[in-house]
Amino acid sequence: MTDTRTGRKLALAAALIFFSTLAVLLARQFSLVPDKPVPAWRTFGPETAQVRIVEYTDFACPACRHASGKVDEMLKVFNGGLHVTFKHYPLLNIHPWSLHAAAYADCAGEQGKFKEYADLLFEGQEKWGTARTMPGEFEVYARRLKLDWPAILACSEAPATLKRLKLEIAEGEMRGVNATPTFFINGRRAVGSAQLIDQAMKFDNILRGSAKP
Amino acid sequence: MNEKLTRQDIGGLIARLAVGGVFIYSGLIKALAPAEEFAFAIESYKVVGPQLALIAANVVPWVELWAGLLLAAGVFTRLTAGFIALMLVFFELLLGQAWLRGLEITSCGCFGAAGSNSLGQEFVQNLALLLICAAAFKHGLGFSADRALEKHEG
Repeated sequence: MTDTRTGRKLALAAALIFFSTLAVLLARQFSLVPDKPVPAWRTFGPETAQVRIVEYTDFACPACRHASGKVDEMLKVFNGGLHVTFKHYPLLNIHPWSLHAAAYADCAGEQGKFKEYADLLFEGQEKWGTARTMPGEFEVYARRLKLDWPAILACSEAPATLKRLKLEIAEGEMRGVNATPTFFINGRRAVGSAQLIDQAMKFDNILRGSAKP
Repeated sequence: MNEKLTRQDIGGLIARLAVGGVFIYSGLIKALAPAEEFAFAIESYKVVGPQLALIAANVVPWVELWAGLLLAAGVFTRLTAGFIALMLVFFELLLGQAWLRGLEITSCGCFGAAGSNSLGQEFVQNLALLLICAAAFKHGLGFSADRALEKHEG
């Protein structure tokens, strides 16, 4: 009798463990994971916007450069109804300088010029993306924007900056991001600018309705 | 449901749900976040290195979630309550040593990366949970799966 009872308890325990594990893994898979906040300089558009895009990007990826232009256009056209959150997802195995670029861009953001620095990184990605030694472009771009380069260097090596980047990569991995650019438009996944536009069309009415004239 | 509940049973049930609920919440919030996030919190206690911290960060949230569920449902009630109490004692030791060493810990990692109370407040909070856990251990069989199974088998 005791063996049967213990057996039933074990079966119940196993069922609870199995279903709870399954539920959590499904929640992860379907991106029901709460978004971690990013620094203010990496968000664009009004907080109240009904359509929200979270973008995982690598500065050295050509498709990301192309998508970046599309996102800028969308922000211009639907400026009232669209909110974009920029997240770093440097593909470290194929782009050796992506992590540096992400850190420098964030540190430029601390000096108020994230977007400007990011645009220069995308523009010149062919020059620095595959460099064998530390590319000089990072400093050139900073100086062109009249940023404090020594401060950027110090900031890029700060544990807080590296921690933020590592956590963003880990978050991307958990959400199943394995290619860049990956977007989540109100939670729906899109990879590349074609899918982004395709998904955004589904929100066309909302976007047009809330766009400022 | 002919179970005649005593006041102690009701107290035990509330204790089980309270401690189980806290562990479910704590486990869930961490299991839904990148493990690295919790690993950073573990590292800040300066007890284990980054690799071990990452392993612990991958394991602990699940253990918390499962133990919380089992306690809340009342499966192997005493065993689960005892196990959770041991975990709480372990957490107390971690918090205590950080407190004594004056470590600067911005997030204790208790409920994910969200900001936490001071180490002292977390220590007291865990102590309270430990006491409630003791009540769950002693009187937690009311409305439990354990008792339902016993009744089912006569």
